[in-house]
Amino acid sequence: MKPSLDIDHICALAHLRLSEDEKRILEPQMAEIVKWIGKLDEVQLPIPSEGPDSHLLFPLPLRPDDIRPSQPLETALLNAPEKAGPFIKVPKVIEEK
Amino acid sequence: MILTSLSLAEIRSLVAAKELKAEEVVRVFLERIEHSEPAIAAFLSVEGEKALDQARAIDRKKDKGSLAGVPIAIKDNILVRGMRTTCGSKILENFIAPYSATVIERLASEDAIFIGKTNLDEFAMGSSTENSAFFVTRNPWDLGRVPGGSSGGSAAAVSAGEAAAALGSDTGGSVRQPAAFCGVVGLKPTYGRVSRFGLVAFASSLDQIGPLTRTVEDCALLTKIICGPDGRDSTLADQPVPDFPADMKERLSPFKAGYLGEKRLEGIDPDVKDLYGKALGILENLGGELVEMDFPSWEYALACYYIIAPSEASSNLARYDGVRYGFRDPSYATLREMYLNTRTRGFGQEVKRRIILGTFALSSGYYDAYYLKAGRTRGLVSREFEQAFERIDYLVTPTTPEPAFPIGAKPDPISMYLSDVFTVSANLAGLPALSLPCGLSRGGIPVGLQVIGRPFQEDRLFKLAFSIEKKVKFKNNRDTINWKEDP
Repeated sequence: MKPSLDIDHICALAHLRLSEDEKRILEPQMAEIVKWIGKLDEVQLPIPSEGPDSHLLFPLPLRPDDIRPSQPLETALLNAPEKAGPFIKVPKVIEEK
Repeated sequence: MILTSLSLAEIRSLVAAKELKAEEVVRVFLERIEHSEPAIAAFLSVEGEKALDQARAIDRKKDKGSLAGVPIAIKDNILVRGMRTTCGSKILENFIAPYSATVIERLASEDAIFIGKTNLDEFAMGSSTENSAFFVTRNPWDLGRVPGGSSGGSAAAVSAGEAAAALGSDTGGSVRQPAAFCGVVGLKPTYGRVSRFGLVAFASSLDQIGPLTRTVEDCALLTKIICGPDGRDSTLADQPVPDFPADMKERLSPFKAGYLGEKRLEGIDPDVKDLYGKALGILENLGGELVEMDFPSWEYALACYYIIAPSEASSNLARYDGVRYGFRDPSYATLREMYLNTRTRGFGQEVKRRIILGTFALSSGYYDAYYLKAGRTRGLVSREFEQAFERIDYLVTPTTPEPAFPIGAKPDPISMYLSDVFTVSANLAGLPALSLPCGLSRGGIPVGLQVIGRPFQEDRLFKLAFSIEKKVKFKNNRDTINWKEDP
């Protein structure tokens, strides 16, 4: 399958909205970059059991599931864009039809 | 005595012996900053008053730490409690760090002084510092050229004598490349060597914090201090921390150094090639046996990196949605609109490019062809290094394919990505790699030499780099330049 990057679809997934001007710049650039990283198609890989995959390169040990102290409330709210009492304020999540 | 040219150990010993007050040291560096910042623009914020308060507290202390009075600049993606941390992005323009990174706590426990936060490419994505949302930093060796990136502010600050040392972060070369461009020393430690707690995440399987310093000895000292266990970063390896500055002065044992043959050097700047050749001569003079090496997987390393790093970035940067911290665009009717407007107006163009690329590589139908394949190619890069290090002790390469380039010279993203050609492989394989100056181009711009070692063998890197440094006799005289008279 020839790869193609549908910029509107990807931006929707990434929560980004491009202006027409930005899209005019980014769309051909992204096409070039996708072509460039397509160089990976040439790689001849050994069968998986012969070589480590990236997720096996570094061990990722789990830490014990202990309760640890967290940031005090006033610290956690320090950078909140909008607050109401001890809460971070966000727009209504349930939208009206 | 030019205070801004002293080593970290020299500053510390003068302060500890009370021949110099930490406050005087800070004042000298603040004067230097005031003098050279209009030309260099290395700092996003200078914390003069806080630094002087810290200095006065250190002067009152009886037992002083090993960095007493040493002013250190911190890349603005590392948290210092109470200081602004912008990551060079509008989306974090007013973010105040609620806690300090582990590396900051370690430096503070040795009485280092945090003099300010340095400029970077937005979220550390770039190789020139031109992607900062705020301004471009200039190279102290030629104000028309970039300082490299993404830790360009840190490298420029050290080079210009605005800080005695600095911290940066390296995901694909972001400490080593600016170190090379600005004529300073930079280390990317082994993955798992230094805690990333308090480093704003870019690509978590690649990011490492590393020092930028005037000398190899300073680099060894800072590395020793920032290493060590930390329960707050589960990727940290349980490894002993050697006494790097003391060990590196021991006699260099016979060694085998791998070097790159003609094929891998095709197209690089002729001055870089010449100085690389001279550096190989120095290795022979030091008793090294040179072994030509080829790494076929390097052909694909950049493509591999530019899939893995943006994929991880697209996931890490999902947290910037205007809910808990940072910028929130005021015009929205719904939650989704708030996300969209905040991210669209908060992120710059390079960050958007990488988020789009990463989201694409992870999206349904493309995941196997891109992310999975890049992961397996990464395994190949790592395996080639493992096999190489059965034959050699070090791999020595140029740090960059060319010296610092003029500001605005690379408008095309792919040409900028190619700057990382010699540095990304060490990140993909998680290996330690150090850049040190190996001379000046004919145009008088520094050129860097990269030494890559086996995992957790930073001690051996320092030892070889210290020996090379003594032979190269590179002189960084940027801290004596009067920018106002020499535009």
